[in-house]
Amino acid sequence: MQALIQLSIANIRSFVRDRAALFWTFAFPLIFVVLFGLIFQGGNTSIKLGWVDLDGTSGPSGSTTLQSAFAAVKGVVITAEDEASAKDQMKTGKLDAIVEVPKGYSAAVTAAGTGATGVAAANVTVFVDPTQATTGGIVQQVVAGVLGAVNLGGRPPIVQAQLATIQTQNLNIISYLVPSILGMALMQLGVFAAIPLVADRQKMILKRLNATPLHRWQLVGSNVVMRLIIGIIQTLIIVAVGTALFGLQMTGSLLLLAGLVVLGGLAFISLGYVIASFAPTEDAANSMTSVVQFPLMFLSGTFFVIDQMPQPLQVVARFLPLTYLSDALRQVMVNGTAFSPLWFCFAVLVGWTAVCFGISARFFKWQ
Amino acid sequence: MVTDANLPAAAPKPPGDAAVRVVNVFKKYGPVKAVDGISFEVARGEVFGLLGPNGAGKTTTVEMLEGLRAPDSGLLEVLGIDVARNPDELKQRVGVTLQTAELYPKLKVVEVLDLFRSFYKRSLPTEQLIDFLDLGERRHAQTRQLSGGQRQRLAVALALVNDPEMIFLDEPTTGLDPAARRSLWDLIQKLQGQGKTILLTTHYMEEAEVLCDRLAILDHGRILALGSVDELVNKRFKDRSVRFDQIAALEDEQLIVLPGVKSIKHDDGVTVLYTHDVAGTIGGLLDATEVLGVEPANLGIRRPTLEDLFLDLTGRALRD
Repeated sequence: MQALIQLSIANIRSFVRDRAALFWTFAFPLIFVVLFGLIFQGGNTSIKLGWVDLDGTSGPSGSTTLQSAFAAVKGVVITAEDEASAKDQMKTGKLDAIVEVPKGYSAAVTAAGTGATGVAAANVTVFVDPTQATTGGIVQQVVAGVLGAVNLGGRPPIVQAQLATIQTQNLNIISYLVPSILGMALMQLGVFAAIPLVADRQKMILKRLNATPLHRWQLVGSNVVMRLIIGIIQTLIIVAVGTALFGLQMTGSLLLLAGLVVLGGLAFISLGYVIASFAPTEDAANSMTSVVQFPLMFLSGTFFVIDQMPQPLQVVARFLPLTYLSDALRQVMVNGTAFSPLWFCFAVLVGWTAVCFGISARFFKWQ
Repeated sequence: MVTDANLPAAAPKPPGDAAVRVVNVFKKYGPVKAVDGISFEVARGEVFGLLGPNGAGKTTTVEMLEGLRAPDSGLLEVLGIDVARNPDELKQRVGVTLQTAELYPKLKVVEVLDLFRSFYKRSLPTEQLIDFLDLGERRHAQTRQLSGGQRQRLAVALALVNDPEMIFLDEPTTGLDPAARRSLWDLIQKLQGQGKTILLTTHYMEEAEVLCDRLAILDHGRILALGSVDELVNKRFKDRSVRFDQIAALEDEQLIVLPGVKSIKHDDGVTVLYTHDVAGTIGGLLDATEVLGVEPANLGIRRPTLEDLFLDLTGRALRD
């Protein structure tokens, strides 16, 4: 046990002192997150607000007055819509939020304005997408600002906002990309396990260790432990940056996420060991990891939605383990899916891990 | 050819007393016979050398003794442990250096030592190892920053981590500069002084002569000669060699008839006369050169060495 711990520490030290490894493991995925975050969120400075007016009254307490108050806010673009088309447009991302003024609004405002007790405030409904945390937050601020002015600080308030949610379809690109990038990072972390292992064999480090009482399972175990620890750190960093900068909303179970990270890590570490079993030199291991990682990166739905790829590539994607890891990560992180619908993704990863460890146990040469 | 049979048998020892026992071991790599039926013993406390050119089977032999390779057939015993049956116990009790000394380039000297200490049930304190190997100034250097000599000293330190009774050193001084080589020789002699048994391989004759109590000369996987340095050299060569820079005008026919001369070799611009009458040979040589009006340059007399022995045994010089 002591040997396993010491060897894991030694591996982590070697890893941390290797700047190239640090870059590929931590900076590279973050660059993707930040880059895509800026591309898909930047430039979108104005809030596109759909205005659904079911009251259609004018005058000081009328709904059109409230509409002008919203229109006067800087950075808000208002378009008047009917209810159905507004919701459709929000689902497809053309609108960021909807304000709906109910029938009888004007009468309710007038009644509330008397200040008589027992009279409820007039309501407006604000639809936001909970996964679009940044946009949703801005919308709520705008609404609060406008209604504050309308109410003039009066108590009880004359107009209140009710929040309602509309789930948009996959259009929160960051919510899609962060789990994908996490999957990609775990894939690279695992596959890259091949390179130091082959290098250690080439430098006869494995042989030297073999001349000590150290057992092979301790050697393999320490490698796996080190990579899984790094995988968990990667996950924390990627999720933290996604949340802090781009409003990623983690809704799923953390335990399920941790399980996926460990299982995904194992699946790709075992793939790395298969590479190490067949790569005679460090250079060969380097090119083999590239050959393996690029198709995984581009065909597993990391950057492109699989359903939109040409049919033959979709078939290929169905065979790639990263497809299942990324899919499960997305479901768990963004949609908060529980374990049971995801059993197939887990099964694929477990099976993949077992087959790869089997192949490497059979073909890996220690010297 | 000199074989085991031509040498006096060593005094018989009770079984199990030898630190190393190799009996009739064979090992093939495909069609290549790397080790072709060798047998030898190393006594406890002895420094034993395996000497031979590259590809002679030295490393294969040592690696079989270390439990890193399995023999095709034959018995290997170290410290009374059957290597094939009980490799784990063997590895607890021996120390090893391999030919390449590169280890965890990004770890510091103390870190590598502590790491290796964690592999053994029993280990020496890191500070004691650092002092003994004179690595104090470099303790916080990463191993990739060490010089060749320092790296080799670290490799020896790692071999000593478990305070082993038996140490295997595979070409410990190959690639080192002369000063580093000397310091490693001192170290090996110090270890012998502590009562450790050491088996080392080398292709440096001088190293074998300085360090080894006994040695086996290997070529093509077979032992050509086995015994102490004196035994080997004096049995084979009661003669002395007279050597001088080759003189073109001087024919071999003239040299062979000089008093005492038994054979002649030309090696790299130097003529070597093997003789049982040094005075007679030199007198005759000087007379012959005077007639030609030249003087032999770098004239010298030498006691025969392992180099001469190897040349004589194999017909080939032993070179790096």
